[in-house]
Amino acid sequence: MGAIGERIVEAYVGEYASGKSEVAVNRALALARQGRRVNLVDLDIVEPFYTLRPIKKKLGEQGVNVLAWDTREMIGLGETGLVFRPANRWALRLPGDVILDVGYGVGGARTLNLVEGAGEDPHLKVLAVVNIARPMTATVEDIVQYVQTLGRVDGLINNSHLGGETTVEFVQEGARVVAEAARRLGLPVVATTVLEELAAKMGPRDACGHPVWPIRRYMDRTLW
Amino acid sequence: MPGKPIEGEKRVFMTGNEVVAWAALAAGAEIMYGYPITPQNEIMHYWTRLAPKFGREFLQTEDELSAGFTTIGGVLAGKKAFTATAGPGNTLMQEPMSMAEAMRLPTVVVIQQRGGPSTGTVIYSQQEVTMTTLGGNGEGMRIVYSTATHQELFDYTIKAFNTAWKYRFPTFILGDGYQAKAREPLTIYDPELRGITMVPAEPLVGKPGVPGVDRPPVHLRNTYNVEEELYELVGSLVRDFERIAPEVAEYEAFGLDDAVLAVVSHGVVSRACKAAVKELREAGYKVGYFRPVTLRPLAVPALQEAAQKAGRFLVVESAQGQLARLLKDALYGSTAEMLPLYKPGMGITAEDVVARVKEILG
Repeated sequence: MGAIGERIVEAYVGEYASGKSEVAVNRALALARQGRRVNLVDLDIVEPFYTLRPIKKKLGEQGVNVLAWDTREMIGLGETGLVFRPANRWALRLPGDVILDVGYGVGGARTLNLVEGAGEDPHLKVLAVVNIARPMTATVEDIVQYVQTLGRVDGLINNSHLGGETTVEFVQEGARVVAEAARRLGLPVVATTVLEELAAKMGPRDACGHPVWPIRRYMDRTLW
Repeated sequence: MPGKPIEGEKRVFMTGNEVVAWAALAAGAEIMYGYPITPQNEIMHYWTRLAPKFGREFLQTEDELSAGFTTIGGVLAGKKAFTATAGPGNTLMQEPMSMAEAMRLPTVVVIQQRGGPSTGTVIYSQQEVTMTTLGGNGEGMRIVYSTATHQELFDYTIKAFNTAWKYRFPTFILGDGYQAKAREPLTIYDPELRGITMVPAEPLVGKPGVPGVDRPPVHLRNTYNVEEELYELVGSLVRDFERIAPEVAEYEAFGLDDAVLAVVSHGVVSRACKAAVKELREAGYKVGYFRPVTLRPLAVPALQEAAQKAGRFLVVESAQGQLARLLKDALYGSTAEMLPLYKPGMGITAEDVVARVKEILG
């Protein structure tokens, strides 16, 4: 572990099914592979589908400390929203990097307020994940409007994809659209996330010069 | 004048519930009535996000009984109205949809099945087959499309509006929690560009002119005084339904010609069955695939032919034989054997189906 200033604290927010959890999981694993101490925090209390719970153990085995409910600890899943896991309130006090996987939309982004110290944390970056194949965030105007509803956002992630049908061209088109939206919002594009096999074809930077973060799909196994 | 919700066509990545909201917009639905229940909530969420942009409306009611009856009210007033629900909400919807059947009203209800009985689970099942096809008092004269993919959710939601308004029987899209929440790519499109003309809605009450003088009186009833009157109505419902059944019934099948066993399933489970049958056929097993798309009416002649060819059905469903019960009724008199793979309220994988077929065929 390096000096205090190098601590990485990132919260992933964005549109429903934009890939927040997928990006957060991959980011946590990438940091863990660098030998860093990483905490991955499930802050999704909007809905219990596609969350970290089902892969908690697997991620733990890969060196990530996952803060999420166990299924057996919960009751009445999904019907009334989820109960905020008390320990997650103190996630920013944990040693090491902290990756926060936040629920969707404005309701999700507000969950950040429940985390002790989120307002003052000098390292916290709130990153909005954008996929232009999601119709509500398909165009520059849509993205600008949407991101403005989310409250604090410090940067955008281009996670444009069409599932198993994704092509490099589609990801690059996403990069251009997201870059223009980011320019209008006065925000940086932090990265383009893309499946490993396509990332190999794209190289370290996308067509707009943003860093390419190769990812693997974990969340397709986490419906429940 | 707001623009079209979808210009041309577009490849997108969506959840099933969103697909339904976009399809309803594309189909020209004017108002959704609804009450929240998992796993259909995002149909309402997306409808309410999108509706104001395209001059459409939404009313949240106090429960599903009310959502069903207000949908009927919207239809009577000449609106393309629809609603969506699941599980216990579907139970409550049976009363208004039974009224729609009695009055021959075009209604569209999207069901995202969840585990039961009662509140059960919020996630997934195929346990609303009996209720959706035959629920409510009366004879269950209604049309039920069971979808398997996001593309079908889009295509059949659009189709359901036309089926309902053309034939004037209550029409259902039967999805489930997996389809509702899962994400996959599909093409959304403006139906007009695919040559689909939407049947226009018209007010069924409050028409201009003097009833009996300028036009025949509108006489929509769900209450009868004497047995003979009701008997006459039910007879006409049954006759009309039986007449349109061959036009409406849809199915999908392959590999039946040389099959010694047909795997029969519907909805999301048919995806696992399709993958399993393809794999088994490649491995040399003589297995066929049959999937009713409409659970009501069933494609009875095609089913009978499949039963005759294969001689044996493996019925696979995430319920305790709700599909099998419909099949047995349609195949009365057939000697085809019916073997089960029932996992009520549980997901079924291609591996499950392959293992069961190998167990049967050795």
